[in-house]
Amino acid sequence: MYYLRYMAGAKVPLSERNDMKRYDLIVVGAGPSGLSAAIEASKRGVKTIVFDENARPGGQLFKQIHKFFGSKEHKAKIRGFVIGQQLLDEAGKAGVEVVLNATVIGLYQDKEIVVKTGDTVHHYKGDSIIIATGASENMVTFDGWTLPGVIGAGAAQTLMNLHGIKPGKRVLMLGSGNVGLVVSFQLMQAGCEVAALVDAAPEIGGYGVHAAKVARTGVPFYLSHTIVKAEGTDHVTGVTIAAVDDHFRFIPGTEKHFDVDTICVAVGLSPMSQLLKMAGCRMSDDPKRSGQVPIIDGHGETSIPGLFAAGDVSGIEEASSAMIEGRQAGIYAAEFLGFISKTEMDNGEEKLDAALDGLRQGMFAPKNRGKNIEKTEEGIDISRNLLCRGFIGDDEIERFPGVTHKAGVHPVIECTQNIPCNPCQDACAMHCIMVGKVITALPAVDPSLKCADCGMCVASCSGQAIFLVNEDCGDGTATVTLPYEFLPVPDEGTRGRALGRNGQEVCDAEVVKIRTSPAYDHTTLLTMSVPKEFAMKARFFKANA
Amino acid sequence: MEQELIWDLEQEKQRIMVHPILGRIEKGRRVKFTYDGREVEGYEGEPIAASLKAQGVMIHRYTAKKHSPRGIFCAIGRCTDCVMVVDGEPNIRTCITPLREGMTVQTQYGVSAEPFENQ
Amino acid sequence: MNTLSDRSRDIGEFVSQPGDEMIICRCEEITKGEIRRAVHEGMFTMTEIRRYLRAGMGLCQGQTCSKLVKGIVARELKVSPADLEPATSRVPMRPIEMKVFANENEDEDE
Repeated sequence: MYYLRYMAGAKVPLSERNDMKRYDLIVVGAGPSGLSAAIEASKRGVKTIVFDENARPGGQLFKQIHKFFGSKEHKAKIRGFVIGQQLLDEAGKAGVEVVLNATVIGLYQDKEIVVKTGDTVHHYKGDSIIIATGASENMVTFDGWTLPGVIGAGAAQTLMNLHGIKPGKRVLMLGSGNVGLVVSFQLMQAGCEVAALVDAAPEIGGYGVHAAKVARTGVPFYLSHTIVKAEGTDHVTGVTIAAVDDHFRFIPGTEKHFDVDTICVAVGLSPMSQLLKMAGCRMSDDPKRSGQVPIIDGHGETSIPGLFAAGDVSGIEEASSAMIEGRQAGIYAAEFLGFISKTEMDNGEEKLDAALDGLRQGMFAPKNRGKNIEKTEEGIDISRNLLCRGFIGDDEIERFPGVTHKAGVHPVIECTQNIPCNPCQDACAMHCIMVGKVITALPAVDPSLKCADCGMCVASCSGQAIFLVNEDCGDGTATVTLPYEFLPVPDEGTRGRALGRNGQEVCDAEVVKIRTSPAYDHTTLLTMSVPKEFAMKARFFKANA
Repeated sequence: MEQELIWDLEQEKQRIMVHPILGRIEKGRRVKFTYDGREVEGYEGEPIAASLKAQGVMIHRYTAKKHSPRGIFCAIGRCTDCVMVVDGEPNIRTCITPLREGMTVQTQYGVSAEPFENQ
Repeated sequence: MNTLSDRSRDIGEFVSQPGDEMIICRCEEITKGEIRRAVHEGMFTMTEIRRYLRAGMGLCQGQTCSKLVKGIVARELKVSPADLEPATSRVPMRPIEMKVFANENEDEDE
């Protein structure tokens, strides 16, 4: 196993407790950024302790069953919970001490913290402190929101991915940010039906590829709609939604009803920065960072010397950025305490800075939040259908450099927004796929190169946006290979219907090949045969009932 | 609200037995516990709320003022909507409290362990 | 003087609106209408609202409703939520039983 020492609810031994226990560094939060910080500090000899109020470390990381984006250094194409385990292993090897079931209930300006473990309260003093407490879910109210059956999206993830329980049978998702999109897909993987995805905004807030993989299974998207009422006497039995105008007022006559037993609310996250506020840090209300955040310098240090913040608590981003910020904070704390020199600090953080910067690019970068982006960095018009309805229009798909045509099997990459991500490039041994040095670039396919039909690109794309297509098999049919991450996996020979990007049935289809491989990491490759005129339309398979 | 529960594993329709990414979901040993006086089953160590949700239980408590039904909301121990009376203690957050053999779990009425008539 | 604390500022009369029955503080079952009315009764800061209504003082200690309450109060005061001081953050940041605080000064005898 690993050597990480867990002291669940440990009491401080009397011998060591004079006034209160003192540490070089106290980290609050054992999520991705907290653990990363503790690792870097411990490696440099800093006596570190990490407190976390939960029974398990890892924060939200272990609930993420999808493959992450980014590049190799960002752990792209690796599933969140696997990254979590790698982080725990690394923390173990670095000798990081983590106390679980330990709630930090107070933080004072002189860097004293008050911790509740079990039924007792303890005081600790840190020469430096890193707050990595992450974020909490936002709420929106609607008629019936307190009914049993209305749950947060995080709750759905916790139930499904940590405890193996379906949150409900038929779910409506409110919110089209990455959380809403990703959790909708996870609900389907868990065996639930998603009746609809609803958002009051006119455009989808999350990545187009996350929306597309949900839309092609047939889930309808209702943008510019929100919930009127959750129905039921003592638990949710249905929901009514309606369209809203520019001022978010309901438009009469646009009501739609769904029979559901669960409503999932995914309306954003806010930093959990109350401890920092309590300590007296200067704070600011920053919409680009999604709420009340501490004012920090380039080293994550707040207005109180020796008090640092890392991860979502300093601004909502991703787990990947949280881990890098955490590592940096650990290094900065080590320098602050005098364990390393400024030069050593600069050397340590150089690569991390570059890695962090690499993530903060593209359409969804924090600096671009709120901007109206109409063209990609390449000058191609962004798919309006994708933004407003969750899928790329058949008439829009040809614009993109990942979509080319040639005889025989070739990759068709339906990745149409600038996001820092490039596992597809590394996946192709024949070098058919090119992203380039700037990893936000849209992937391009070189049709002059031969495709080996190995399927690695299909499996490696975290956005599930790559297909292998043979547009004309010579007998009036075409084949489309798509990534399939649901159960049951249809057998070869199963007949059914192909669905288009919009989730509507487009033609008859038959499963001709099913490929699995450890290299695909739980992504099954399903190849279906369709009439050849549907080669560029058919993108999902549904077996006949 | 009366919820008819005749015990057998078939009742745990909300359990995911095999997951496309996570595979077989690992659980502890099966244990018996009581829910509102009825003998039911779950897995040792999983949150009480998970054992109840597996059986389709939606209502954990009724609020003090308006007697409104509440159930799981945040599932991480923060919102306190899922609290129930466990082994006689009220306000136990069932979403983060591990199930132990023989626990008595009861629907909570208000903020104490007493039924509404006695409050 | 901070305009926000100027209670002589006229924010208009309390006018009932649709949606006032919506529960905002789930723990204490406090509605939007009660919060809006409290502002008109002179509660201009988040800390005052919390003390007056108990919104944010229930079992979850404001974990769920704080941002919502802030938005409602801000709208009633006709200011941006960013201009409102959040309610004072003080120990304990999470709900805690009295007996646990009472254990604080006890010698750990193990």
